[in-house]
Amino acid sequence: MTADPTGFLYPFIESEERDSASLLVDLARSAREKIAQSTALRTATLARLDDELAGAGGAMADRFRRGARLLAFGNGGSATDAEGAVDLFRRPPGGRPLPALSLVDDRAVLTALASDVGFDLVFSRQIIAHGRADDIAVGFSTSGDSVNVRRGLEEAARRGLLTVGLSGYEGGAMAASGTIAHRLVVRSESVHRIQEAQNALMLRLWSIVQQQLRACGREGGSP
Amino acid sequence: MMAAVGTPAATAMAASGTAEDLAATALALARRFAAGATMWCVAPQWPPHGRHVAVEFVHPVIVGKRALPAIAVEGADAVAAVRLLARPGDVLLVVSAADDPVGADLLRRSEAWGLIRVWLGAGLRPGGPSGPAGGRADHVVWLDGDDPAMASRSGDVVLLYHLLWELTQVVLEHPGLLKHGFASGPESGPECDDEVCITCSDQGRVAEVQAVHQDGRVEVLVHGAPETVDASLVQIVAPGDLLLVHAGVALTVLTDTPDVST
Repeated sequence: MTADPTGFLYPFIESEERDSASLLVDLARSAREKIAQSTALRTATLARLDDELAGAGGAMADRFRRGARLLAFGNGGSATDAEGAVDLFRRPPGGRPLPALSLVDDRAVLTALASDVGFDLVFSRQIIAHGRADDIAVGFSTSGDSVNVRRGLEEAARRGLLTVGLSGYEGGAMAASGTIAHRLVVRSESVHRIQEAQNALMLRLWSIVQQQLRACGREGGSP
Repeated sequence: MMAAVGTPAATAMAASGTAEDLAATALALARRFAAGATMWCVAPQWPPHGRHVAVEFVHPVIVGKRALPAIAVEGADAVAAVRLLARPGDVLLVVSAADDPVGADLLRRSEAWGLIRVWLGAGLRPGGPSGPAGGRADHVVWLDGDDPAMASRSGDVVLLYHLLWELTQVVLEHPGLLKHGFASGPESGPECDDEVCITCSDQGRVAEVQAVHQDGRVEVLVHGAPETVDASLVQIVAPGDLLLVHAGVALTVLTDTPDVST
């Protein structure tokens, strides 16, 4: 490596660096800042979407009363967030377990569809197979541009399912889609912060659904 | 960002030194990856988190970041699978609450397998509210609170491993810090909260029984290496038992999952 005339500015540059102490300080500062950003984004997003969450949660509760199932899907980390949402509804930390299915779980179905009709259709084809008009479809995409998630939600809307789309950035194609009933956009440019906030949004939706079902149960129980 | 300071998660993480723990863990993790390690990700109570953390490392969301070998392991035979697949010097990452029996079992055994143990968790801290979780893992990053189920759903647990990924990638951009300061063993000694610290003192090392001979000798794994030890001092042992061994002699059979209450 030739001598870098600006090297004096970076005493520990690259392979010469031996002391991890200053890096550890920088890393911890970065972590603290991101913890603050994440919690601030979640708080702000929950507040900004309060009305929309109440509307979506209420509509979901209505559907569950009529026997709906929640069908959730996404890609990559968002696929695991969809599975987490399914787990939350089916095995709740409190309240009533509710029927929910993940459309990313079955490797046979996913690989068969991906191989034969293309990955863009892996969720919409499952909606065609499984979706009932009373069901709820929840799609996760951080960009809002995942073609298979958008097409899954659009197919669900066509079939009468209640559709909830979670996205980030400016909402992408999902936010622009006229057919998705509830579009929840986390306004951030960071995939990670968006996913953290989407977790918080799903937890709030679940909490609203449980609240509404409890309220309904009480009314029904007292003549 | 001022509004964030008062939120429960931010306050809890600041109070418990989460940022500093993440930094130290990221440094250790980057060094292991640089040495060729695979990270085995297990979240027995929350399998989607195990898959999520693995996909973060394998397929980075930021273009240009290095793809790293992380593999989620789940199901009833997670312990057997990691035992079979992991090599000494690999990393075990457990994401769980303190009371997860599978996670605790993996953490205990993987010391004998020679794995570097990282535990990301939420809820009541193992070893009690103010107690160290030391000895149970080489690196512990904990989100203190009384409701791990909620933390696992609120975005807090996801945040923990997102940050671990982000910081690990930063360390990987400092090649000078990756070359030294580690061997096949843990990065730094765990905190000692037991009467006999099995790692730091010369009292003994954790060994997992592989096979038992008629004459009282047993084949064990210690830090991932096979050894034959004299087990005549201990009660009946069977494959899978964990022993404390010293100077070629098994001193005692380690009991099951340590008490995590206080």
